[in-house]
Amino acid sequence: MRNRASNSLSKGKIRQSWSKYNLYNLQRLRSPATANRTFFQQKWSAKALGRAYHGEQVREGQWKRMFSKRIRSVIPMDTADLAADDGSKNSAGRGSGLQTQGEKGRPSRIIPFTQMAFAPLERRLDVAIFRSLFASSTRQARQFVIHGAVTVNGQKMRHPSYLLNPGDLFQVDPDRVMFATGAPKTKFERRETRQLKQKDEEEVQDESEAKSEEAAETKPDTEKEDGRDTLKALMAQAKNIMSTDKEVLPAKRKQELRGFQKAVRRVLSRSGTSTILTDNLEAQFSELTLMLNAKRAEKKPAKQTKQAKNDSEESDAATSVEPEAASNKLSEAFQAAAEGADVDASELTDEEFEVLKRALTQMRDNPIDHSKPYATPWRPRDFMSAFAFIPRYLEVNQNICAAVYLRHPVARPGSAEVPTPFGESISTPAYGWYLKRRW
Amino acid sequence: MAPRVQSRSVSNLLPYITSSSSSTSSSIPSLCSSSQSSRYFSATPAPQTKLRRQMFEWLSTQGSGLKHHTPGETNYLRMADGSQSNRPFPNNMTFISEPVLSEELRNEVYFRVKEQKKSPRAVSVELGIDMNRIAAVVRLVELERRQRDKVNFDSSPFFSSFEFSHSPPPRTQNDETPKNRLHCHTLVLCTKWSPPPPLAQAGERQTYHEPINDLPVHPATGAQIFYPVPESRPFTRVDAGRVFSGAPTLEKKVSDKITHPSDLVEDVIQKPGSIEWVGKGDNARQVLQPADVRIPHPQLVQLARDRAAFPEERRTVTQRHTERLERQEKAEKERAAHAAERRNRNTETIEPQDSRFSFRIKDAVVSEETVGKNGRAPWAPGRRYGVPTNDRTRGTVKIPTRVNV
Repeated sequence: MRNRASNSLSKGKIRQSWSKYNLYNLQRLRSPATANRTFFQQKWSAKALGRAYHGEQVREGQWKRMFSKRIRSVIPMDTADLAADDGSKNSAGRGSGLQTQGEKGRPSRIIPFTQMAFAPLERRLDVAIFRSLFASSTRQARQFVIHGAVTVNGQKMRHPSYLLNPGDLFQVDPDRVMFATGAPKTKFERRETRQLKQKDEEEVQDESEAKSEEAAETKPDTEKEDGRDTLKALMAQAKNIMSTDKEVLPAKRKQELRGFQKAVRRVLSRSGTSTILTDNLEAQFSELTLMLNAKRAEKKPAKQTKQAKNDSEESDAATSVEPEAASNKLSEAFQAAAEGADVDASELTDEEFEVLKRALTQMRDNPIDHSKPYATPWRPRDFMSAFAFIPRYLEVNQNICAAVYLRHPVARPGSAEVPTPFGESISTPAYGWYLKRRW
Repeated sequence: MAPRVQSRSVSNLLPYITSSSSSTSSSIPSLCSSSQSSRYFSATPAPQTKLRRQMFEWLSTQGSGLKHHTPGETNYLRMADGSQSNRPFPNNMTFISEPVLSEELRNEVYFRVKEQKKSPRAVSVELGIDMNRIAAVVRLVELERRQRDKVNFDSSPFFSSFEFSHSPPPRTQNDETPKNRLHCHTLVLCTKWSPPPPLAQAGERQTYHEPINDLPVHPATGAQIFYPVPESRPFTRVDAGRVFSGAPTLEKKVSDKITHPSDLVEDVIQKPGSIEWVGKGDNARQVLQPADVRIPHPQLVQLARDRAAFPEERRTVTQRHTERLERQEKAEKERAAHAAERRNRNTETIEPQDSRFSFRIKDAVVSEETVGKNGRAPWAPGRRYGVPTNDRTRGTVKIPTRVNV
């Protein structure tokens, strides 16, 4: 299907999309003028505006078949009211209840029925994916479905027009969701990706050559150096982010990164042959946390200048993980602290450890990975927050990128559940347009 | 007088001028002020329309606040009067962005249903969450755990940091955990969960997530009916339901027994088939029940009535309430068991050895319902001579209408 859903500024149509063009159009939307226009014209332009947003990917004939003039609504009931009266009070007198001048019922709010004119479209799978914030536009959601990244009740569903039934659980591939909701790459990051790809290709070639030539030869033992390299690489990445994305990063994150950079530099300068720096980040992280805990536990006795005891205690604590090296380093630190020597550049304070730990947590949860199709570390798209809401008829679990379609959207006094950017001045004539059968 | 450089000639000369003379190059920024800073060596005004320029101007001034958000707060377009609100669309006053369940609340729901073995109905009342949502949350949390178990812990640090114990998971210091799993919670406000005393008493209430006693508006009630009733006769919700569904008036003997519409609840729950039918053929319909029966939590009306009847005897009220709930649950379970038994009685399941499949075999029943009047109904099973399958004809939609779990 050809995509006619451009975000043109001259037309100013609103789409189901998180684009900034769309946001601008949404911001300058005014209800169309009605003076000097026939009722037909008013309805025509209202339905054109409405359809540009609601189910623009659905053919008009298809939508007309889906349209239903019956609109679902609910009234929230108060159990105390129901218990107090069996209804005879309301029908007393001449049929409308006996009311004295003083007491009046609660002011009833209008149920905005016509705001629900496009409610049947919310049942569509692609729209529901967009509504649960798994795609940046309905068009993208549609692509996810067609490309086979979506399951309904555990089965792959390739029809974007599948109408969800109440209780259906749909799930989108998390990588796609990260791509849809994450900020796009900058050109520097794209370059990094290219380089990574080239490197990988070269490596594969080298490996195959090496294997074919000499199968018996073992690889040089670079395990020890590896951990140090990863930490160095991390620092380089932090630096890189700082230098390239200065405008993009929020100030808080910048601070954190700077702190992280510092902490890593310290570790690197201090430890020639450190065992904290193991080959993988995960182990490194857990060790650092353990070290941190051990340090915290023994910080207070250390101040009492009981050196020997400290050493023994803390070696006890550390034996479970890294028997010698970690304890040595910690003991050095504690010695320095106990003797009152300056605990500066070569030393990690609690705060620094905290910084390092937090930064590592973030690095672990949200690593820099140039092989991903979105900017890493992941951050939400720009201008996404203006569109971030989840309607009540969906229950969404972001951890696994799954959602349940609970029920059909309903109107209730004062509010309608169908997310539509238009007010009554547009939705009512649009509803009126589809009430009349014109084909 | 210094030579005046026309803008057109500058654009041609620019690459040469910029390197040599500094005096002329000073005029360049003003020329290409409208264009982006990425076009250093071009003085040609960027092909910006007025609308585009206005848009970027708005995005950099008034719209700049929408670019990023403060975690835990919504950040929608401002209303016409410049105020922030929970309405994402400034033109639509009827659509409100409502809070979603927080992670802790979801785990709490799961804990109460799965580990404390409470009924979804009870949990729904305790936490003020719709029963459908309770079921969905339990499903989703279970799916989450299953998928977490599937993934190797060493290979994915993503899941291992997460603790699924009853205690709410530890929150990180900074709320801006930028992984996708939390971004929506930071973008959309969530309903906080604070452990309240069980079955909150008056004064202390759990912050309810949503209204739980929504009465769906029945299409039959849309009609405006003129129905004369003598003033001396009480006209209740039960009578109104009968009028809307076109059923005859209840006999006095029967109607005198009903002191309050919620008296019907027990009967309907015990025997849903006991609801009266009116009309014939296609027009047959069940008599519309009063709101007391049709709301999702009818037991709450009865509870409120008990409270009014026995204001001083809290224990009696609670006891009656629990008994009623037990009866209701028992009836529901019995009905489900009965239905399952009936289903199993008619079908035979065969699981061959070394087979991936299990075959359910039903006895064929030849009746008007199954094969139609002439035995050739389109819904009848099997291929029938002279009855073409119409799955290839034009306009036949083959998109599935349901996916069974």
